[in-house]
Amino acid sequence: MPSRRFSRSRAAVVLAAAVVLLVTACSPGGGSTSEPTGEPVTGGTLTYASGDAEPSCLDPHVGGNYPQALIATQYLESLVSLDEDGEVIPWLATEWQESDDGMAWEFTLREDVTFTDGTPFDAEAVAANIAHVQDPATASSTGYLALAKVEDVVAVDDHTVRLELSAPDSALLESLSQVWVAMESPKALERSQDENCAAPVGTGPFVVDGWERQDSVTLVRNEDYTSPPADAEGTNLPYLDSIVWRFIPDSASRYAALQSGEVQVIDNAQPDTIQSAEPDEAIEELDAPRPGAANRIELNSSKAPFDDERVREAFIRSVNVDEGIEGLFFGTAERSYSPLSSVEPLGLSLPELFTVDTDAAASLLDEAGWAERDAEGYRVKDGERLTLDFPVSTNQSIPAEQSLFEQIQADAKTAGFEIKLHPLDLSSWYGALAENDYDLVSAPYTKVGPDVLRILYHSASIEPAPSGYFANLAQVDDPAVDDLLTRASTTSNPDDRESLYEQAQRVILEGYYILPLYDQQNHFLYSSTVQGLRAMPTVSTPTFAEAWLAS
Amino acid sequence: MSGPRSAVVGAPAFRPTVGEALAGVVLVLLLVAALWPNLLAPGDPLATAPADAFKGPSPAHLFGTDESGRDIYTRVVHGASESLLIGVLATAIGIGLAIVLGFVAGLGPRWLDFGTTRVVEVLFAFPGLLLALLFIVVTGPGVLSSTIAVGLATAPGYARIIRSQVRRAASAEFVEAARVLGRGRLWIVARHILPNVTAALFVLATLGLGQAIIWVSSLSYLGLGAVPPAAEWGAMLAAGRTYIANFWWMTFFPGLAIVASAAAATVVGRGIQKRNRSAV
Repeated sequence: MPSRRFSRSRAAVVLAAAVVLLVTACSPGGGSTSEPTGEPVTGGTLTYASGDAEPSCLDPHVGGNYPQALIATQYLESLVSLDEDGEVIPWLATEWQESDDGMAWEFTLREDVTFTDGTPFDAEAVAANIAHVQDPATASSTGYLALAKVEDVVAVDDHTVRLELSAPDSALLESLSQVWVAMESPKALERSQDENCAAPVGTGPFVVDGWERQDSVTLVRNEDYTSPPADAEGTNLPYLDSIVWRFIPDSASRYAALQSGEVQVIDNAQPDTIQSAEPDEAIEELDAPRPGAANRIELNSSKAPFDDERVREAFIRSVNVDEGIEGLFFGTAERSYSPLSSVEPLGLSLPELFTVDTDAAASLLDEAGWAERDAEGYRVKDGERLTLDFPVSTNQSIPAEQSLFEQIQADAKTAGFEIKLHPLDLSSWYGALAENDYDLVSAPYTKVGPDVLRILYHSASIEPAPSGYFANLAQVDDPAVDDLLTRASTTSNPDDRESLYEQAQRVILEGYYILPLYDQQNHFLYSSTVQGLRAMPTVSTPTFAEAWLAS
Repeated sequence: MSGPRSAVVGAPAFRPTVGEALAGVVLVLLLVAALWPNLLAPGDPLATAPADAFKGPSPAHLFGTDESGRDIYTRVVHGASESLLIGVLATAIGIGLAIVLGFVAGLGPRWLDFGTTRVVEVLFAFPGLLLALLFIVVTGPGVLSSTIAVGLATAPGYARIIRSQVRRAASAEFVEAARVLGRGRLWIVARHILPNVTAALFVLATLGLGQAIIWVSSLSYLGLGAVPPAAEWGAMLAAGRTYIANFWWMTFFPGLAIVASAAAATVVGRGIQKRNRSAV
């Protein structure tokens, strides 16, 4: 029976497609885009092609990077979410209350939610999840750092849980909205890490059904789904029967697969293809800049030559990145002058610090003792060449960004810096960072809210997290910055918070620790048959909970 | 059997086909580009000009520009030395190693022949590129290691051919005559066997050069050889691949250079081989 129904609906699809084709072929160009057309249709399989490195673990508690967040958004859910204005809204928790001294938060949980393995969602589950993230054996980094102040989790009753903190945390709700601390079945968490990595169990709209390494993950519909976030639209979610989550690292092949209809959604869309797809009615774009830090180049201030602020300023004053961004990104990326993403309301931009001034740069280098040049035109001091090692993660930097680094290399050469670009795979790249074997590095960091500054620039973040990763790659070690960031994260007064974060950003920018480039690019291209696709306002990952395939 | 050496160089009435003439021209151009690149393209292959990025072929930029506004024509010309040098070096390593293996097997005692031949056969069972990749996994990527890798990977094939050539030459009458006359082993190898193997070696080297250029480019394309922004054809191909949907010239011209040089080396090699054989 089901197969017959399927074939009939398939015939209808073909017929409808033919009609649509005929109509669109006759209609003039232009017209509206991405407006939902008609009623959502249930069923169908959507194929997603990711250009990110395939996660080695599907549980985002472990490590905690963006590729994990992308896929886990489809099967895991958090205590709270954000709406489009950045306000915190209910999700698995319906209400929350901060204690007067800010040292504890009490959450009321939904009572009608079960994990897809049948385990009920309750206060014990929340406690088990936070314990899992904080357990060094889990080797979490993103979630671990986000929950750094949670000291104890107390189950007040079945559906009330209290988080007790070591210090007030103005970023707690923002931290909890992230998929890196999403809720998983406590029963599933008891399995070995390998098993849990292969198929984490959550409460989300889809369930991990299978994982063919180096190829794809199959997600199927959660038939008993009851817990969309408060801002979700539609009833009887999700609409799709299944999602095939493929890994196609080559961007040209990914785009070709979208054009041919082999896949319906691609991520990491290349700037030139975004531009060339614009007039194409069959392809839509979703631009979802990630929250947290802007993409930036960090200058390692812990060792020579960048332990000298003059050399850092000279470097930043010598490289012109504006033309490169314009040429390489085809207008899809805007230059940033802030440590924070443009979606963060508290970001501070100081463009005047980043105007190119090669004369000033030259005299700064002279002053710092790098006055002589060798036969190849590089500056030298005590017989040492002014060399900068720049490990580049080919998994995290799209080709356009790598080309931008090459242009920076050419610019810096004129000023007398020798930049050595080292394109590395992810694990060798982590290795280079762990050995402090870098002078320049670009590492994305996504987190909801300005608290990302504490993670990136507080001296405590020079210490590695359990995963071995440390986030303060500029190695800013400044008691004034530490003090500002600590106070900002503990104050409950919004005005104080804003002013403290502003001061901290000013010190970081004026210390020439970073060269901001642009927002973390997060462009998706998708077939116009896909309706109801949106990016989560939390960490900007697309959710397919409300998506359906139009015929 | 009148001196196979002369058959290589001075074949009477040497008349190349159109294809061979064309291939010869390409090889000469390649040589000029490799030795005096500034004669053909005076610019700097690494000079960026972001404002001129992604320009199509035009009189100002014959082959267009790449994503950083570098002139692709200049890069292709300057890339010749890298590709050719790596190709020649890799072939030299491969053949050098093969000569040692081939002579040891061809002239050594039976057990040594048996041992060497089995080792070569085992290595031969692996596709050459796989051997090269294996080597790079062990030593780490880079220009030097990819050169050695390609050399090592091609050695087993050459070694087999050289061994059989050595054996054939060693059983020839004039070698036996020399042996009867009491000439030393080394003298026989140097004066009788080596010259007779040289002709085959020369053909092998020319044919192998084309192959080596392709392999070296493949390794760079995979990110295991030359590192961007070096003007190396394989690396240029890899960089252009991202933009192939919109800017074809970024992959087309480096690709053309690889195909043309590999084809030219092969055609010339086959030409020599053909004449050599007919003369013998």
